[in-house]
Amino acid sequence: MQTSKEAPVKMPLDDKNPLGRPDFISVKDFNFFYGKKQALYDINMDIPERQVTAFIGPSGCGKSTLLRNFNRMNELIDGVHNSGDIRILGKSIYDKEIEVISLRRSIGMVFQKSNPFPKSIYENVVFALRISGTSKKSELDECVERSLRGAALWNEVKDRLHESALGLSGGQMQRLCIARAIANRPKVLLMDEPCSALDPIATVKVEELIRELKQQFTIVIVTHNMQQATRCSDNTAFFYLGKLVEYADTQKIFSNPSEKQTEDYITGRFG
Amino acid sequence: MENARHILTNFEDALDNLRKNVLMMSSLSSRSLENARKGLFERDEDWCNTVIADDEEIDALEIQVDGEGMEIMLRFHPFASDLRNVIAAMKTSVNLERASDQSVGIARRARKLIALPLMPVASRIEPIFNLASSVYDDSIKSYADNDIELARTIKVRDKDLDELNREFADSITEMMPQNPEHIRGFLELIFIARCLERIGDQAKTIAEDVIYAVAVKDIRHSHAAR
Repeated sequence: MQTSKEAPVKMPLDDKNPLGRPDFISVKDFNFFYGKKQALYDINMDIPERQVTAFIGPSGCGKSTLLRNFNRMNELIDGVHNSGDIRILGKSIYDKEIEVISLRRSIGMVFQKSNPFPKSIYENVVFALRISGTSKKSELDECVERSLRGAALWNEVKDRLHESALGLSGGQMQRLCIARAIANRPKVLLMDEPCSALDPIATVKVEELIRELKQQFTIVIVTHNMQQATRCSDNTAFFYLGKLVEYADTQKIFSNPSEKQTEDYITGRFG
Repeated sequence: MENARHILTNFEDALDNLRKNVLMMSSLSSRSLENARKGLFERDEDWCNTVIADDEEIDALEIQVDGEGMEIMLRFHPFASDLRNVIAAMKTSVNLERASDQSVGIARRARKLIALPLMPVASRIEPIFNLASSVYDDSIKSYADNDIELARTIKVRDKDLDELNREFADSITEMMPQNPEHIRGFLELIFIARCLERIGDQAKTIAEDVIYAVAVKDIRHSHAAR
């Protein structure tokens, strides 16, 4: 278990992840401010490689804020500043050598509302590759098939790759966004409530996809749906008022949390 | 420390109702055992018949508790202590119903004994009955009060009950060759002692479930510390 005031606890290597680094993403003494307002307080946590880590907590607790710090998306907002560090594979994301754009390319992100570009399905997937200069058709085709297969969408769209992405259903659009996110072979996938706008069947498909994707990617998911957290995630972090209250194996968090605040939240006594 | 109420009031009400029904079952079950005792030692067939008749109500409550527990899990997806308490309630109701079945077994056998001439040796079963009643009532109390210290005592005392039952069965068996005219009565007493021993087993299981629900420790199949 970790709290905001404790040193980070290394998640043990176990049967779930025999080869993965337990501190694939490492957050150390991290504080974050929107101007004068502090949104995150002394966050310390290690996120293991190739596992799904869920962030839960009431609205405004800082979970999406922390998520957006992993790819420095928050820096697009005026007036933000932070202290502490976030490391991926041991390297600080704030290191002067790090180019923010490259960082964001190496971290895929999927948002609550699917946001396919007003382009074809094909062009949505290869967008990042084209921007980075790739133009060879064979490479682009390979990327499209690999990514769409990886997002469990290939069979549904393979015969209409050049049709508009906006003609897809909500669930298909979200899976297209996942395909787009994994096209660049990122190390990490960040998902901010990826299923909240989807119907139950589409949700199940995305959850099944998450289960498959974690074999290749380290996934961090923000969710309001606690049943989803129990179904999808290996580890769960509970946040409240900008602080990390408890962070442990998902089964422990939902069957026997150590902190009363966690128990009260997950049992619906507050929130 | 008492938990705050759930925001969802019908969830809170459903949990309260489930617990109340289990406590009602426990009260009826305990009463059945006491009535079986009266029927046996007072040689009163009416008490025996009461035990047998009342079992229907306990059976119905078991079905009700099961249904309510399932509905809570379906509707509210409980977590943590709520989930453990719902599962404990459902498991406890099964054990209470089984214990009541043993009381019915005692009552039926007591009726047969009443039809036979009085056997002074029947009074030897009283210490077993007392211990079984005490263990059973305390297991129910441990559930009602979430008292894990009390629950922890049940396992050891159940072992004492098992020992008493063994000794009783051995002593009765030894008497059989010398008293063949009482063999029917002896057999009824052995079966009654066996029913009491099984009631102790149900009490032990109830206590194990209390310890899991409250302290999240699974002590099943572990040896009792003396």
